[in-house]
Amino acid sequence: MAISFKRLKKLILEMGPLILLFYICISEFHTQFYYWKIFSFNLQFIIIYYWVLRSSDILGYGFVFLSGLINDVVLSLPLGTSALCYLFVSVVAVYVRNATVRSSLFTDWFTFVIAILIGNFLYFFLMNKFGGAQVEYISIFYNSFFTFIFYPFFWVLFEFYRKFIIAGAK
Amino acid sequence: MSTSRDDFGIAIRSALLQRGAKQKFSLFVLILLSLSIFVLDVSKLKPIKIFRSLLNDGIYRISAISSSPIKFSGTVKDFFITHIFVYKENLKLKTELEELKNKDLQTSYLQTANKRLQDIIQLEKKSTFTTVAAKVLLDKNSPYLNSVIINRGSNSGIKLGMPVLSEGNLVGRVVEVNFFSARILLLNDLNSKIPVMISPKGSQAILSGRGEDKPKLEYLPEKFELNDKNLVFTSGKDGIFFEGIPIGNVIFEDNKIKVKLFSDPNQVSFVNVILDKSSDAEAM
Repeated sequence: MAISFKRLKKLILEMGPLILLFYICISEFHTQFYYWKIFSFNLQFIIIYYWVLRSSDILGYGFVFLSGLINDVVLSLPLGTSALCYLFVSVVAVYVRNATVRSSLFTDWFTFVIAILIGNFLYFFLMNKFGGAQVEYISIFYNSFFTFIFYPFFWVLFEFYRKFIIAGAK
Repeated sequence: MSTSRDDFGIAIRSALLQRGAKQKFSLFVLILLSLSIFVLDVSKLKPIKIFRSLLNDGIYRISAISSSPIKFSGTVKDFFITHIFVYKENLKLKTELEELKNKDLQTSYLQTANKRLQDIIQLEKKSTFTTVAAKVLLDKNSPYLNSVIINRGSNSGIKLGMPVLSEGNLVGRVVEVNFFSARILLLNDLNSKIPVMISPKGSQAILSGRGEDKPKLEYLPEKFELNDKNLVFTSGKDGIFFEGIPIGNVIFEDNKIKVKLFSDPNQVSFVNVILDKSSDAEAM
């Protein structure tokens, strides 16, 4: 009984990042504040990059793909746009995980720039060429900039949560 | 040099093809799948459009339910803010009421005068619109799109391009229609461009969204004179919108001629989609 409770607790804790990712994609929660137009960031990129890099067992690639599809429906983008961006962010994360022996906040943070650049470049390219929508480059720049700036904050938060999951499993 | 290139190749290949212990798919397979879905969606084939429409309806409903805690917190915040400022607001409203009473008297006089003049020149009968009321289901903005989802779709006769009103003022147009939902592109979106007419001289211009609260007026006549009485209406020149729908008033801000919208597109909860124009007799 005690063992099954422990397993259930672990399972629930492990689902945390996944639930957060899906909730952000599907709900009205937006990381853009209109009173201060320039302030916006891509929380999905941060979640995907961190969890694929640090603990890929928690955030499966299939769920990353699915969250991208949901995001496309909610934001009325051509289906597959966000999924592609998220998967490329995951590719960078997996590459960094394979290439680095010992990762730290700083290595993660600076390699995250590559993930943001690839993810956002793909986004704008697909939107411009196939989406038929105009893109405001300056808001994209601010969005990328603040996504980069906010990464360490979420890194610390997620690191704490990850340690909490590990402790819960013991 | 070639060794490092080889290492890079191996790392990338492994990132794309390798699956973890708990991963069911490799990234490469999922990227290919995403690309296929993207190509199919962009090709706009009829079966895909129907599938997308059904998918949209389902996800919008789930999205509306999952957004209810956020909406509730917003309502609670508004409730407290309203109560804090209720005294100040009351004083302000009393002053406004006095002003409105005066204006109302002036309006009744002008209405009478207008009716009399219309009778004299036998002007065409004023028209009203046949509309369908809808509730805003979802209001998720992104840096790329200012739009809202409403709970009416093709089942209520909504079609692409139809104008959308809030409190009688234009707030946007329909850009996506599903069976039970539709997406409204708001006037302040970067992709929104509407031909407008500016009173009192009837100058023509294009109202262009900028992703900000106040859209910009473009292609104004060279000798355009800005004053407090400049009101913006739809001109109907595009053949999609009906003429004379109120939009907002002209202001000069940041060295640009902008329009302060009568209805804030970011605050709409209920809207009316104009289905058709009907005569007074039909409307009654």
